[in-house]
Amino acid sequence: MKLALSKWFPVASISDLPYRHIFQGQLLGREYAIWKADDGNINIWENRCLHRGVRLSIGTNEGFELKCQYHGWRYANRTAGCTYIPAHPADAPARTICNNTYTCQEKYGMVWTCETPIGDVPDIKGFKSFTVLRPIPINSAYKNVRNFLSSKEIPDHHMLRSKQTEFWRFKTNAGNLLSLVIQPQSGNISILRGIYNLKTTGTEKLRVLKYYNSLMTKLRDEIESQHLPKLHERNPKISKLADDLSQFPTLSDQKHNLRVSVSEKVKLSDNIVKLKLKSIKKQLPTFHAGAHIDIVLQNGLIRQYSLTNGPGETDHYCIAVKIEKHGGGGSKIISENISVGDIMAISAPHNSFPLLRNSTHIIFLAGGIGITPMLSMAKAMHSMRQSFELHHFTKSNDKEAFSHDFASFTNKVITYNDLSINQSLTTIKSLLKKPKFSNKIYVCGPGEMIQNAIKIGLEFGWNESDIHYEYFKNENEIHKNSTFKIDLARSAMSLEVPSGKSVLQILKENGVNLVSSCEQGACGTCKVRVIEGKIDHQDVFLNSLEKEGQNIMLTCVSRAKSKRLILDI
Amino acid sequence: MLKLYDYELSGNCYKVRLMMAFLKLSYDRELIEFYPSKKHKSLEFLEINPLGQLPVLMDNDFIIRDAQAILIYLAQKYDSQNNWYPSEKPSLVAEISEWLFFANDLTATSSAARLHDGFFYTNIHVEKCRKKAHDQFRIFDEHLYFNEQQGFPWICKSQYPTIADIACFPYIILSEEGGISRINYPAVRRWCDRFKRIPNFIVMSGIFPAGPQKVPDNEAKQSKILNGN
Amino acid sequence: MHAEICEDTVILNQWHPISSTDDLKNHKQITTMLLEEKITCKKNSNGKYFVWKSIDIKKKLLPIKIAYGYLWTSLGTPPTDLFSFPEFYEIDRRNVATGVFGVNISAGRTIENFLDMGHFPFVHTGVLGEEPHTEVKEYDVSICETNDEILATKCQFYQPQAAVISSKGAEVDYIYRIPHINCAILYKSSPVDKKRQDAIIIFVQPVSQEIVRAHTGMCIIDDKSADKDIRLFQQTIFGQDKPILENQFPKKLPLDSRAETPIRADKSSIAYRRWLSQKGLTYGVIPSEDNNLFEVM
Ligand code: FES
Ligand SMILES: [Fe+2]
Repeated sequence: MKLALSKWFPVASISDLPYRHIFQGQLLGREYAIWKADDGNINIWENRCLHRGVRLSIGTNEGFELKCQYHGWRYANRTAGCTYIPAHPADAPARTICNNTYTCQEKYGMVWTCETPIGDVPDIKGFKSFTVLRPIPINSAYKNVRNFLSSKEIPDHHMLRSKQTEFWRFKTNAGNLLSLVIQPQSGNISILRGIYNLKTTGTEKLRVLKYYNSLMTKLRDEIESQHLPKLHERNPKISKLADDLSQFPTLSDQKHNLRVSVSEKVKLSDNIVKLKLKSIKKQLPTFHAGAHIDIVLQNGLIRQYSLTNGPGETDHYCIAVKIEKHGGGGSKIISENISVGDIMAISAPHNSFPLLRNSTHIIFLAGGIGITPMLSMAKAMHSMRQSFELHHFTKSNDKEAFSHDFASFTNKVITYNDLSINQSLTTIKSLLKKPKFSNKIYVCGPGEMIQNAIKIGLEFGWNESDIHYEYFKNENEIHKNSTFKIDLARSAMSLEVPSGKSVLQILKENGVNLVSSCEQGACGTCKVRVIEGKIDHQDVFLNSLEKEGQNIMLTCVSRAKSKRLILDI
Repeated sequence: MLKLYDYELSGNCYKVRLMMAFLKLSYDRELIEFYPSKKHKSLEFLEINPLGQLPVLMDNDFIIRDAQAILIYLAQKYDSQNNWYPSEKPSLVAEISEWLFFANDLTATSSAARLHDGFFYTNIHVEKCRKKAHDQFRIFDEHLYFNEQQGFPWICKSQYPTIADIACFPYIILSEEGGISRINYPAVRRWCDRFKRIPNFIVMSGIFPAGPQKVPDNEAKQSKILNGN
Repeated sequence: MHAEICEDTVILNQWHPISSTDDLKNHKQITTMLLEEKITCKKNSNGKYFVWKSIDIKKKLLPIKIAYGYLWTSLGTPPTDLFSFPEFYEIDRRNVATGVFGVNISAGRTIENFLDMGHFPFVHTGVLGEEPHTEVKEYDVSICETNDEILATKCQFYQPQAAVISSKGAEVDYIYRIPHINCAILYKSSPVDKKRQDAIIIFVQPVSQEIVRAHTGMCIIDDKSADKDIRLFQQTIFGQDKPILENQFPKKLPLDSRAETPIRADKSSIAYRRWLSQKGLTYGVIPSEDNNLFEVM
């Protein structure tokens, strides 16, 4: 059935996809998990979890994500990208862990798909309005059903000849139309689907449905009573995964290669602007809660902004930008020069501030615009029905800015307006008083606030590894005046880093394409493993335990204390 | 005090556990090892139920055998809302009885196939059981589809689930363990999802809970705001 | 569907469990399926066992072995010794056969599920695991050259109710052993005696490439729980794994490293797949097309 691959077939009725249901469908032997997300988007995926092959249809529809029943992997609406692997809560899943998805079109009250589509689902003449009939599965091969239909007289119906061989059309005695189409489910099962060319409601609808149900059931019984020999079932091939997925790669993304258009620009408060970015052509990549993107601004400036999206919101990215009246150019350009419809270049999301969902409770502390990554995290926690609290320290004129984002969990949010430094400190102290098993602290905001929160947390006995933070920027002074050698263990290269240049720069100059983002030691995107050598850390990303560990460094700012570093790249 | 002679992997016992969970009744469990030691055929147990079948419910001194009978008893006695078995509505009671027999028939088809595949009941003609189960599922799917069309989410013409739903659920949802796929019964699958979302639903080994309902938006729409000076 | 004849010598030459000796106590004669072959097993009045292929009118006897509470046989030429399992003979332990279950899946998938900790919170919710405590910490996997078996050590997982008699949550230590291509043993800290470990076994009898009989048992120090409770607990656990196993596709275990997506938590399963691949097993698995993809660890 080679040809069949480029034909559109229905695989479900729209009414098969009620709220938070996963429909198990099958076409040409391939099984699908078909589900409607809370935003109305219909997903058609291969019914097989990439991890260990379990049917996704026995998992759960979480609204914007599908959750596998075996190990709880979560896959995002639209992209089918894996957003969370519970066995490794600290790791962002590789972006290439992505389920096989299939095209989907809704037409005539049915969901249609096609493996290699040419054009759209064809029109069926005379069906501007319609009633979808109850589909009837038949234990017989596609071609038997076809042969049967083309030879069979259906009482009170006259077959209309047409070129569209896959749709049978019949005229009733009363002058209405019936169209039948066969879905080849697997070698020996077909589904007879039909539509009637009047939109009916109430008792009339019930009458039509019952009438055609019994008519089509009779056809089924006749076909099945022919007892035609069974075909040999063939399973569709499962495509192999990309090589890199079988061995945990370090990803090297192309930088800034996504093009988006600004679809919304809203003032959230006097100082905060929200941008909604829509992809121009391709599907936007999957992001993880806490991820940020680089945005290339018109004058070549590159700035990082956290995504504020909730899980599975994959048809756009949202960012919130604080307009610094006197600050650097980035925010000014966004506030003044960017308007709806503009095209911008952005990077794929980087995730270096991962959300550890294996916590029984998370305390989020946000200072000012530092709330942005936490919006995305809080939404993810909320949708997984996990426990958290969000404390937002802000200025009173910004206090309403994010109320829309909080809407579904307002009772977990406390906003503090215009607190003095001392008041903030006392508040943070009262919040962090009691460290508990498996609880975590997340802080994001001005440098001083983060340092204070860490200090207070440690004083009250929190483990350093349970305090997570993200700086906007690295306020430390960074020196570049040392000279040392780097050896690349996996690429067998040896390079010299002169004073005045960073490790990252040298790597790039030599064709080693490492992903980077902020390039000032704050975002963690450019981190690499160090196998040997003493690191001169200058970033604000790693915590002190990680720094002491001496086996991870941020290549954009950190250097060597020893003569040589061996990097695991 | 209620006491249930129970076995975790039995669908018939599960019916009773479901009913008790929905009615929030507490009870003692006396575990009878159906497999592998066949304790339900032991002399001690035959004293309690000469038919040698599980479940058996004891309400103080009153002994009731047969899952369907127990459902009727519990619903009549403990459902103050009278929704699970609305005895004052003759047509509903009739409908319920009809489906209780259907549920009982599943024991000879879907349940038997499961015993064959999972527990080595070799004297069962499994292909016949499967074929019959498919015939039953076809009828059930059609019935549920037309109920949906008429605005009834459950087996009987009621806005509330009844004991008929409880009685049918276990051996429908466990059918795959007997090699009976439900891929061609979409209305049955939708009904299973709805059933799993009945408040206080519990699972048994082999059954997973449904996905979440919509995350409830907070009643308290006001977030807390503290002002500095 | 008619039975294919098994021609894979790797599997033919293994010892296979066909029944617990407990089960045989109550029967004079049983029949079962092994590698698509019907097998008859008879016990004479002296308690001696005889096993032969049911279709064989001459009743040529197959080799047998009684070990670890089970009767084992082979359709080929099996090694003299079965793997060692010394705990079974420790006098203060109780050996409880917790039941044999039919599952429509390959032996490899069954063993892999047994080795897997990551599924505890999702499949054995509230018993062997619980969200959000889902992390699988780094553990060690090695292949023991002398015994040719896989060992996974330093495994740890959070459990809300670690065994019949434990009632509150704890991090539990595990060791997994795969001493035979279709058998695995799990050791976990005994709730009675912290210094010793309970052993849980799974011996899989391949009925066909995609159907197994999974024999389960425990060898424990706990002297409080009744045999029945131990069996019921183990049955509940196995009943939870069954629908997962039967919904895995393909049913045979794919040995190609690119067939599925492993994560660090799956180290033991990666080692297991490689080990099977190196043995040249073809029965119940999808062999890797390109063996070069399997580098040695
Ligand atoms: S098989 Fe789906 S998460 Fe492991
Ligand atoms: Fe398990």
